[in-house]
Amino acid sequence: MNRGRYLPLAAGLALLSLFALAALAPGLFTGYGQKEMFQAWLAPSQEHWLGTNSLGYDIFTELVYGTRETLLIGVSSSVLTMLLGAAAGVLSTVRGVWGWLSNALINVFALLPRLVTLIVLAGFLGSSALNLIVLISAFSWVGTARDVRARVIHLNSMPFIENCVIQGYSRAHIAAHHILPNLYDLLLSRFLLGVNSCIMMESTLSFLGFGDLYHPTWGSMINFAYNRGAFIRQAYNYLLTPGVCIMLLSLSFYLISLYFERRRDTIEEV
Amino acid sequence: MKKYTRSMGTALACFLVVIALNFFLPRMLPGNPIAYLTGFAEEDMTPRQYEYYRSALHLDESLPAQFMYYLQSLLDGSLGYSYKKEAVVSELIFDRLGNTLQITLPAVLLSAALGLVWGLSCGFHKNGLADRASTSLLIVLNALPTFLIALVLVIVFGFKARWLPYAGLNSAGVPAGGAEYVLDRLRHLVLPVASLALAALPSRYLMMRNMAAQAADEKYVLYARARGLPPGLIERGYILRNIAQPFVTMAGMSVSTCVGGSLVIENVFSINGMGTLLSDAVYTLDYPLMQGILFVTTLIMVISIVAADIICVLIDPRVRWGERV
Repeated sequence: MNRGRYLPLAAGLALLSLFALAALAPGLFTGYGQKEMFQAWLAPSQEHWLGTNSLGYDIFTELVYGTRETLLIGVSSSVLTMLLGAAAGVLSTVRGVWGWLSNALINVFALLPRLVTLIVLAGFLGSSALNLIVLISAFSWVGTARDVRARVIHLNSMPFIENCVIQGYSRAHIAAHHILPNLYDLLLSRFLLGVNSCIMMESTLSFLGFGDLYHPTWGSMINFAYNRGAFIRQAYNYLLTPGVCIMLLSLSFYLISLYFERRRDTIEEV
Repeated sequence: MKKYTRSMGTALACFLVVIALNFFLPRMLPGNPIAYLTGFAEEDMTPRQYEYYRSALHLDESLPAQFMYYLQSLLDGSLGYSYKKEAVVSELIFDRLGNTLQITLPAVLLSAALGLVWGLSCGFHKNGLADRASTSLLIVLNALPTFLIALVLVIVFGFKARWLPYAGLNSAGVPAGGAEYVLDRLRHLVLPVASLALAALPSRYLMMRNMAAQAADEKYVLYARARGLPPGLIERGYILRNIAQPFVTMAGMSVSTCVGGSLVIENVFSINGMGTLLSDAVYTLDYPLMQGILFVTTLIMVISIVAADIICVLIDPRVRWGERV
């Protein structure tokens, strides 16, 4: 049992570090430059592991260079999501107008049809990578906020917080020094799972053609493949490998979060 | 009972937020609102055109008056006018809405039913072989983006096996009406509905499975077991009845997610639905049409939440008996 505990963590970290390495040093994985042209639509071979695309770029190289953009958008929007969610969640437990307002905001945002709103807003505001990050996190923080809210309400009824109140600490001090540290595991797991949903959101938007064309992610790659006739040429490797990468990346984050979840359960059992 | 009216109130508030967003977005963003509301660049317009649009869109009046005009367009059901397509927005949308709903509704029902039955039995027999296998399978499925599921299904069943059609909703040359037409439509619907249902299944399954697994540890289940009740009865008569409500609420809330998913599916299967209309609108910068689609999607969401709440009231014995006593 004890050895099995670290299995998901190890597998997740191994996968993730592979992707992280590809993001930091793409040159290690591929000998070709990003814009190096070959003959178009070459089949997979020794020189080109996944063949070449409609413009003659090496698909594997494209994939490796897309890792950075995908991870960047996923991780940064998840960080932003987490911060927004934590702030709104803590704020919503405060008594008074602000608490009521942010609670109402949480309830309203929970219902908004996310993808349609995102597409429409991306249409209005334009879809640069930065816009996508801000938009995605602006519509993803609700889950975090709800969890944080539930946890804070639970914590507020615990004796050690009561004790702090009796000791005369200010609300801000209690929130910063006693409540936030207790949210650590929750925020960590929301962050890890948030990366997944942000990457999923981004790839869906990019697949539909609303992504940032100057920073092609895996989603945009599939969009290119789909629009440039990878179907008819039966270049399934071009269509499917970015999707498989998205899946593996998601699973790696999931496995890591699984470890922390299990660890928390063990702590609570003891 | 109070709980349900409150969630309907939230749905209504959400509706108002979308209306306000639709109204203020083109007027508050940097740039001329005329460009946003017509979709044409300001430089391409003659002064006469500019004046015409300005008065046609009521932009020369005060903001509250403009808002009244906007509300009026929502209430009379026209949702504005698309200058790019030269048509009333609501007509454009309602032409396509039927196709979208033909994919969305079966997928919602199918994934909810499958998630309910499968998740319940796996959660009840938790940590068994079947539970472990299907939970890990669905976690992997959960990591797949919707469009990838659709692409794989198209490649496997459409391209390789050639069992099912993978584009459009009808074959060319089949006359409308008649049994042949309906069968043809059904054959075309199989792949889109299956991909959407598969994409929506994991979240429902996982929720149901976790709730059932939690409920299986409750004391009333232990008591029921101790009385020697058959497992099937405990599963359906005790656990299901206790966790049905959050499930229905969740299923109702996720209809809008499914509408979002169907936007993707329609693009993959080139179906003339709201999704293709929306991407068309974004590509041609047809802002009134985009706003109309957002409005209609929100409307669908509100309707489904209200429907889910009504079902919750109907299946909640506490509410039924509370009213009788």
